[in-house]
Amino acid sequence: MQEALLKLKNYLLRIFILAGLLWSRLSPTGRAALLILMLLVLTALFAPLLAWHPPDVSSGPALTPPGDGHLMGTDDLGVDLWAMIVFGARVSIIVGLGTALLAGLGGSIAGIASAYKGGWMDRVIMRLVDIMIVLPDLPVMIVLAAFFGPSLSNIIIVLALFSWSRPARLIRAQTLSLKEQPYVKMAAHYGGGFFYLLFRHFLPELLPLLLVNMIRLAGMAIIAEASLAFLGLGDPTSRSWGLIINHAVNFSGIYFTPFWQWWLLYPWLFLTLLVTSLALLGRDLERVADPRLSS
Amino acid sequence: MISETLKRIPEYLLAILIIITLNFALPRMMPGDPFLQISGAGGEVGDAYTAEQREYFMAYYGLDRPAGEQFITYLGELSRGDLGFSYYYKESVSNMILRRLPWTLLLVSAATAISLGAGMALGSFAAWRRGRRSERLTYLMMVVFGEIPAFLVGLFLLVLLAAGLGLFPLAGAMSHYTQFDSYGAQLADIMHHAALPVLTLSLARTGSLFLLVRNSLGTILTRDYMRTARAKGLNERRIRWRHAMRNALLPLITRTAMQMGAMVGGAVLVENVFNYPGLGQLMYDAVFVRDYPLLQGIFLVLAITVLAANLLADLLYKRLDPRIAAEVKKQSTGPGIKPVGTGGRNEDL
Repeated sequence: MQEALLKLKNYLLRIFILAGLLWSRLSPTGRAALLILMLLVLTALFAPLLAWHPPDVSSGPALTPPGDGHLMGTDDLGVDLWAMIVFGARVSIIVGLGTALLAGLGGSIAGIASAYKGGWMDRVIMRLVDIMIVLPDLPVMIVLAAFFGPSLSNIIIVLALFSWSRPARLIRAQTLSLKEQPYVKMAAHYGGGFFYLLFRHFLPELLPLLLVNMIRLAGMAIIAEASLAFLGLGDPTSRSWGLIINHAVNFSGIYFTPFWQWWLLYPWLFLTLLVTSLALLGRDLERVADPRLSS
Repeated sequence: MISETLKRIPEYLLAILIIITLNFALPRMMPGDPFLQISGAGGEVGDAYTAEQREYFMAYYGLDRPAGEQFITYLGELSRGDLGFSYYYKESVSNMILRRLPWTLLLVSAATAISLGAGMALGSFAAWRRGRRSERLTYLMMVVFGEIPAFLVGLFLLVLLAAGLGLFPLAGAMSHYTQFDSYGAQLADIMHHAALPVLTLSLARTGSLFLLVRNSLGTILTRDYMRTARAKGLNERRIRWRHAMRNALLPLITRTAMQMGAMVGGAVLVENVFNYPGLGQLMYDAVFVRDYPLLQGIFLVLAITVLAANLLADLLYKRLDPRIAAEVKKQSTGPGIKPVGTGGRNEDL
């Protein structure tokens, strides 16, 4: 018991030190992006505490401007916009995290298998990657979402199917040099199978690179979800930011009224903030992870 | 050189086959059958067909035959340019697509040209002034603009320039119900309508081209032949454009082609932001009324266009770069004459 506690303490300490080290290496832009991201994640986590109106039912007169109990006004059904924004953060973060995990892990396993096994497996996987990279993803995603119904889990699966190719290529290149390392060869000689090597050597070694890439993946997934929702292919039961924008834009004559000043502005602002800070952080982390690329 | 290009062709054929198969399989993988959907026009799914009528239609459309046979028929129809019949608009899908395609092509080609030009100009500006404040500012702006998705940029421009200041029209590709004095006036009207969508798409795409040009020029500037060119006393403009840019051009072509998918995806969204009557807006309408044949037809056309652009870039690349052919023959060449731009930051991520 005591030992486990000590272990946990050590572990936490290590994470703390690593986080500090990372922070010290980030550029000012990267730091600002990280702070914004953390704020948005906290918003999503504590959504029920932050919103004092329900996000799905009417809580006042329709289309009231911000102020007067409604921090960001209401939409055409009288639903509080701040509540929708706060709960919508959850959708974006679930989509980003889910896709990044699925595509990141799947892609890196494919990449490692491709590099380690070589031969026909390498050829098949790399051809697939080439094809995935040329396919125009948004039209394919629109078609898939239209056919399979836009539930949140479907969207995550479709997004993951279309974003595993980049991590696969990246991880394959790294594995090619990693598998020549003496200790990996040694482990294989002593009878370590593919899965042993995968979980014991390849994945832990490539994890930092993978995590950096996952930030990229999360950003792209959030953009893709918002784009699909903007086209009316979002999960109708989850109020994502893209869906709010879709409703606002489809409100006839919105640009001739003052309503866009809150109904369109706030979801737009939050989406832009989230997407830009994810991208800037990802870019900065790439620089930290690979100093060769620093300008 | 030619054989190397030919080797890539099966890959493209395979990609096209995958797209076609996907298109064929999707409606057949859906629960229920198409007649359930037709009878439920107007949103409600009812069972307006009797069992016999349903059987009749299944036989009429060939849906009772084995899947392999259906696939062959489907391929035959495609090869004749028959994309099916839109069951909402009651019109041939190919006709509808042909009517909308020019607008999308206009947006995509104008945006590609502008983003290429802007990327090259700004990229070379940044490469020559690396480290100065003006360069850092350009870099930050480009990175930020490159990361914000096109439809969000479009919404911003629409609200600011079209709705707020009234400088541009809010929707459409040209003014209807107006008489134009000349073709020039009509052309100006079309350009006025296309300005914001094209600007949006170009803004979203310039960022990554800018980074590519900046990075590959950065590498090129350290090469020996640049010093040689200076030593020969060539003027700066000639060095910049003839010697440096020519070499930076090659990765740029590949990148532009690889971005074609993103560009077309961006166009689909941007058309919907600006209510521009291209294929993207038609796709939205098709999704909205669940007109699957139309949706699939548009998808097929977009996907094949993107693949064709990629093939074209492949062919062009080999034309422009004699080193590729040399490298294939010799297998190994000195480090000094490898194609540049493969070490760019944005290359694989």
